[in-house]
Amino acid sequence: MPETYWGPLMRNLPNARELLGIASDTLRDTLATSPSERQRYSFALILSALGIAERELQGAPTPWPNEFSALKNLYTNQNGHPNRVTINGLNCQFANDLRIGMYDQPGSSQNFAHELLREDVLARLAEDNPRYQK
Amino acid sequence: MGLAEFIRDITGVESVEVEEGLLLPGGAIQKNQALTVTIGDGNLEGTHEMVLRCEASAKLSESQPLKHQFKLLEIAQRATITVPRPYWFCGDSSVIGQPFFLMERIKGESLGNRITRNGPQPAIAAELGRELAKIHAIGNLGDQLNFLEAIKVSPALDAITKYRRYLDELPEPHPVIEWTLRWLERKAPTSDEIVLCHRDFRTGNYMVHSKRLTGILDWEFAGWGDPHEDIAWFCARCWRFSAPEQKAGGIADRQSFYHAYEKHSGRSIDHQQINYWETMAHTRWAIIALQQSMRHRSKEEPNLELALIGRRLAELEYECLKLTGVL
Repeated sequence: MPETYWGPLMRNLPNARELLGIASDTLRDTLATSPSERQRYSFALILSALGIAERELQGAPTPWPNEFSALKNLYTNQNGHPNRVTINGLNCQFANDLRIGMYDQPGSSQNFAHELLREDVLARLAEDNPRYQK
Repeated sequence: MGLAEFIRDITGVESVEVEEGLLLPGGAIQKNQALTVTIGDGNLEGTHEMVLRCEASAKLSESQPLKHQFKLLEIAQRATITVPRPYWFCGDSSVIGQPFFLMERIKGESLGNRITRNGPQPAIAAELGRELAKIHAIGNLGDQLNFLEAIKVSPALDAITKYRRYLDELPEPHPVIEWTLRWLERKAPTSDEIVLCHRDFRTGNYMVHSKRLTGILDWEFAGWGDPHEDIAWFCARCWRFSAPEQKAGGIADRQSFYHAYEKHSGRSIDHQQINYWETMAHTRWAIIALQQSMRHRSKEEPNLELALIGRRLAELEYECLKLTGVL
């Protein structure tokens, strides 16, 4: 039997995504008939949270899967090793370098830094509010 | 002591009845509760719709204490700015468990999404331009506003220093905000004029009733600053709600608002400065969003609304990258 066959049976069904989907639909139906304005506001917040959770669960561990490798490329020292080894550590260094002006000057370093900032924001935006750019 | 007794004491009247109403929407930082106060005698005899305002359990570092908010409201009212009438401030926590003030409950709608759904409203934008000009004309009125923090270097550079300090208090790095703050630092203007700024003058913080402006709300962030800061905060993309194409607060084109402001203030708006301060606006809101989200994340005030504000960060950073030419 193929290994993938056993995957779905490891948990009871429906899975997390399906549950979030049906919970959102139920809430949306309730919202349409809810009499209280405050309840409607709370429901809208809950729907928004469920939507973000659903999109986050569909994706990779970080919104932009290439973030770690891009940061490692930026911070690989002369010996070919990154100066820090965690994504958070590399981001701390990147943030600090931006603050002290290491990417102020136009050129390839700045272009690379901009690319990182763009990809990161666009990936997080797609998760948190995919309709924003429309 | 209860609320009715407090009102009796402060007014010297015999009979006061207080009926508590609903918590009003839009109070992520402050709590606003509707009250109906019936006074049986004296100058204020009659029934008054009021709002009781007190602080939420965790507040932002930029917020003015309630006492100062009340003072600002009194000063604004004296300057004929359209604000809810301030009644009384109470610093005695034994009355309702924490300090509070009472102000008039004005009629109207304040929710940004609802206001901006009504299509272009250039007349309201013009009223707001005129009101903002009046706010910027207040000045320090014989040192009555000495409780406001003085500008140290310049409004822009002071803000950047403060926002970096806030960022340093957070547990994770924020490269996009760092990039934007550096951009703002390199391009910081020297502000020719320092005025009283509302610093939260935007759609969502004023009331509209029957197509008229009925009140400017939420003075908790007021402080000295560059007049362009308030104008840009009002126009920034993040405060246009459901009508981003209406660049003045989601209710009108910029011209309706700018023209009224220029006419009543006698100042000319510098469009380059507006671009600068709109970038600052998104940065500031991004930092406030992070702080709000931390109120939830730290378990100090677990709350879905605060939690979701943290997930608005990417929208604000997107605008920062657009305004600084990265996107």
